[in-house]
Amino acid sequence: MEIKNLKKQAQEELNLIGKIEELKKFEEKYLGKEGKITKILRSLKNLSDKERKKIGKETNEFKDYLLGEIEKRREEIRKREIEEKEKEEWIDITIPPKKIEKGHLHPLSLAQERIEEIFVSFGFSVIEGPEIENEWYNFDALNIPKDHPARDLWDTFWIKSQKSKVKSQKWLLRTHTSPVQVRYMEKHNPPLRIISPGRIFRYEATDASHEINFYQVEGLMIDRDITVANFYFIMDEFFKSFFRKETKIRLRPSFFPFTEPSFEIDIVCSLCKGKGCSVCSKRGWIELAGAGMVHPNVLKAVKIDPKKWQGFAFGLGLDRLAMIKYKINDIRLFYSGDLRFLRQF
Amino acid sequence: MLFSYNWLQSFFDKKLPRPKKLAELLTLHSFEVKEVERKNNDFVFDIDVTPNRVDCFSHLGIARECSAFTNLKFLPVQQAGKMQNFCLPAGRAKFKEDKDIKIKDFIEIEVENRDDCPRYVGRVIFGVKVGPSPKWMQKKLISCGVLPINNIVDATNYVMLEVGQPLHAFDLDRISGRKIIVRRAKRREKIKALDGRVYNLDEDVLIIADSEKPLAIAGIKGGEEAEISPETKNIFIESANFNPILIRKSARKLKLKTDASFRFEHGLDPNLVEIGLERVVSLIQEVAQGKVAKGGVDFYPKRVKPWTIKFNIKRVREVLGIDIPPAKIIEILEKLDLKIKKKTNENLWIVVPTYRKDLLIEEDLVEEVGRIYGYKNLLKITPKAPLQLPEKDEIFVWGLEIKKILKEMGFVEVYNYSFVGREDKEKLNLGKLIELGNPISDEFRYLRPTFLINLIKNVEKNQKNFNQFKLFEIGKVFYQKKGKFQEKRMLSGVIFGEREGFPLLKGFIDILFEQIGISDKYYDEYQPTPDKFFSIFWHIKKSAEIKVSGKEIGFLGEVSKRVTELYGVKGNILAFDIDFDELVKLAREEAEYLPISKYPSAIRDIAILVPLRTKVADVLNVIYASGGSLLRDVDLFDIYVGEEIPDGLKNLAFHLIFQSEKKALSGKEIDELFERIIKAIEENPEWEVRK
Repeated sequence: MEIKNLKKQAQEELNLIGKIEELKKFEEKYLGKEGKITKILRSLKNLSDKERKKIGKETNEFKDYLLGEIEKRREEIRKREIEEKEKEEWIDITIPPKKIEKGHLHPLSLAQERIEEIFVSFGFSVIEGPEIENEWYNFDALNIPKDHPARDLWDTFWIKSQKSKVKSQKWLLRTHTSPVQVRYMEKHNPPLRIISPGRIFRYEATDASHEINFYQVEGLMIDRDITVANFYFIMDEFFKSFFRKETKIRLRPSFFPFTEPSFEIDIVCSLCKGKGCSVCSKRGWIELAGAGMVHPNVLKAVKIDPKKWQGFAFGLGLDRLAMIKYKINDIRLFYSGDLRFLRQF
Repeated sequence: MLFSYNWLQSFFDKKLPRPKKLAELLTLHSFEVKEVERKNNDFVFDIDVTPNRVDCFSHLGIARECSAFTNLKFLPVQQAGKMQNFCLPAGRAKFKEDKDIKIKDFIEIEVENRDDCPRYVGRVIFGVKVGPSPKWMQKKLISCGVLPINNIVDATNYVMLEVGQPLHAFDLDRISGRKIIVRRAKRREKIKALDGRVYNLDEDVLIIADSEKPLAIAGIKGGEEAEISPETKNIFIESANFNPILIRKSARKLKLKTDASFRFEHGLDPNLVEIGLERVVSLIQEVAQGKVAKGGVDFYPKRVKPWTIKFNIKRVREVLGIDIPPAKIIEILEKLDLKIKKKTNENLWIVVPTYRKDLLIEEDLVEEVGRIYGYKNLLKITPKAPLQLPEKDEIFVWGLEIKKILKEMGFVEVYNYSFVGREDKEKLNLGKLIELGNPISDEFRYLRPTFLINLIKNVEKNQKNFNQFKLFEIGKVFYQKKGKFQEKRMLSGVIFGEREGFPLLKGFIDILFEQIGISDKYYDEYQPTPDKFFSIFWHIKKSAEIKVSGKEIGFLGEVSKRVTELYGVKGNILAFDIDFDELVKLAREEAEYLPISKYPSAIRDIAILVPLRTKVADVLNVIYASGGSLLRDVDLFDIYVGEEIPDGLKNLAFHLIFQSEKKALSGKEIDELFERIIKAIEENPEWEVRK
């Protein structure tokens, strides 16, 4: 009966304990060198075998029980102490964040990556070409003859020749990525499906929408029976995917010597929804690409039989795509090297 | 090009769609209308006529387009009601000839070369009254941006805007020798043109002359000699066709581009000249009176005739991918004034009028049908194409990968201009660069031979807003090699505002190379070579070559103050400049897992006093060589010069990390290894291990 009472007494005392120091005293009182339980255990040797076994077992069980209870109590007290302490603490959550410097990719790289990703998923290979071109690849092979006013569609930077050794080979900075088409078709047999992103150059005065160097993504698909309707499908899917939303596009007639028929591709101005605003120069539509069915003369120039093969080509304005996607109002920002701009991407 | 809405309306008896609607229809079917502007009870359309459609450099042409996509009846082929209205065929019997005056008594034409001038026609009018032109004429001219001058000149300009044929009126009495000669100018011949400027001519320029002197620059501009003045009584009107290439070259050479030269260089229809001439004569008679001499002069040795295209209707479907009923196809072609000479179930034989030089092959006709039918009726159809795995040029694959690695390390990507300026070339003494023949300005005169110049300019620009940043660029640089123009891709970067110098830079480059699987890279002392002007950029003692398997593929180090100061940079710039094409060739995708040792590692520190110019790499080599395979890593954690260190020496402190793959190393084993390393170091009399 002694143990039973002791257990009851201990439990009552334990329930009243609220501080670690008190708990330590309590532990000492029962389990310390002179503690009540220690004493009982020490006195066991004076008992009979039978009683020793019985009381010994009871006492040990009680000891384990009490150790467990003390531990539980300790955790409770500790938890409460932490809670109380944390209640006292405070920070100002409106404090400005610490500036963590991270790297940034150029918005044109981001746009280009997305474009490549979309066209690769359509099975288009990604091809590169030179930035210094000769007249043949940039113009003649694309059905743009010398001294033809059509050449005025592309204001050209010419490279100063050194005492022109070969007069026929005038060098220039490519005015479009279309020479890549020619170079690729010379070396590969149809069917063909490529895009070629790259830097191009135009001799013109710069302003918010014109630059002397900028980017284009050339596209070419040649097969047995590729049609304008197929082209329309690919473009529609492309713009939807690039802008990640339903985008209204239209084809309107245009002229490029290397395509027939030729088109411009417009998308509805995302700012004014087609009503006309300053961004779209009141047109309601924004021109994003020139395109068309590859002209038979171009195919002939690269020894592909236009009676057997046909397809489309396009040149997307990468800068303009990025400008619309990220709402950038001045093309010159891309080439400014200004971190206040670049760190936003 | 500017067009008047009211003028276009005059070609129809029914009302055209409202201006805004008409502009939209033109954009969707013909040419983009860039702007519609309201002006004096009229609307002025700014239309982007494409260069293949010289027939539409006129109200007649644009009106013909309008008739094709609206269903309005086009009047010119009918009888025109008023003189102000135009009618085809050309002004037949619209003016009165004077039977008593015969043109051949007053003027004679001589064309030197028919390739230069395939056609030349003219008429003579006597007794005109030069004065202001009527209001209706002036209004239309002003709408189209042409200044009224007098009734004769205005009438010629009016007809040019109306039908597209440039015309020129001469004062007949100032033509010497009653002779018009179309010939190449002689060297040193001069002409004072109507703009008041004197032009020096030569054999490349075609002129209209009389028996003595140049009267006009053919197809470009008239001269003062035979100018229409208030005193002019009798006139000779020229309507001609000139070689487009010749006119284009002359206009460029003389830097004189006019409404006439612009039309001629696009290749006008020789059959347009009589339409223009008859029309202008009737107009002049209306607005300036006068008697028209009987007959005209006409030089036309080789008549241009309409041609026929065999058009397989199937092509419409094959190219556009949609079905358009044959009846509709025929209707569209006929509205465009294309006559069907013959037809079978499959084919049409189309007669193309001579003003449609752009129509030569079936595809051209498909475009005509498609655009008038309306591209909005196109369907979107999935192409049928074989499933094939696309390829990506390595430079795109690795370009993106490398950009991402640099971004992870805190670099910001820039895109700079491909150009550098004359000032850069001179300041940095850059040697032979590729120069543009027609630079936009001195600032963009040369193609960039390196990215460093523009990157340094980026630093200068950004230093006022940011204390610390890292930039990089991937793109092309340009140079000449053996007289050939070359381009190659580079990867360059700059670090600004970092305390730590060279080791930091090496840290970044190490990670970059490691991430793209190049392990055998090392740094070598910079050996300036005479053919490399780049040496100006580098601090000679604080830069190194990056080498892979003995081949130099780039540089890194501190940018020399010589350069940073020139560009106003306040502080040090660290830079790297790597041949990207070479880098891509070396890059490997595979990464291989090395098992993590199960046994603990032990660390011992060692401090070594060495002379100031001793290279860490030399010390490391000795440590590694003596430590053997159980020495897993050596970490330099401090370089110290200063108090407690004797002059001329520095203290290098390393953590040595020992670990075995096979067992836990005992203290004794590690001590032995450590002793062995110390002994090896102290074999160098200049090095001392501090204990």
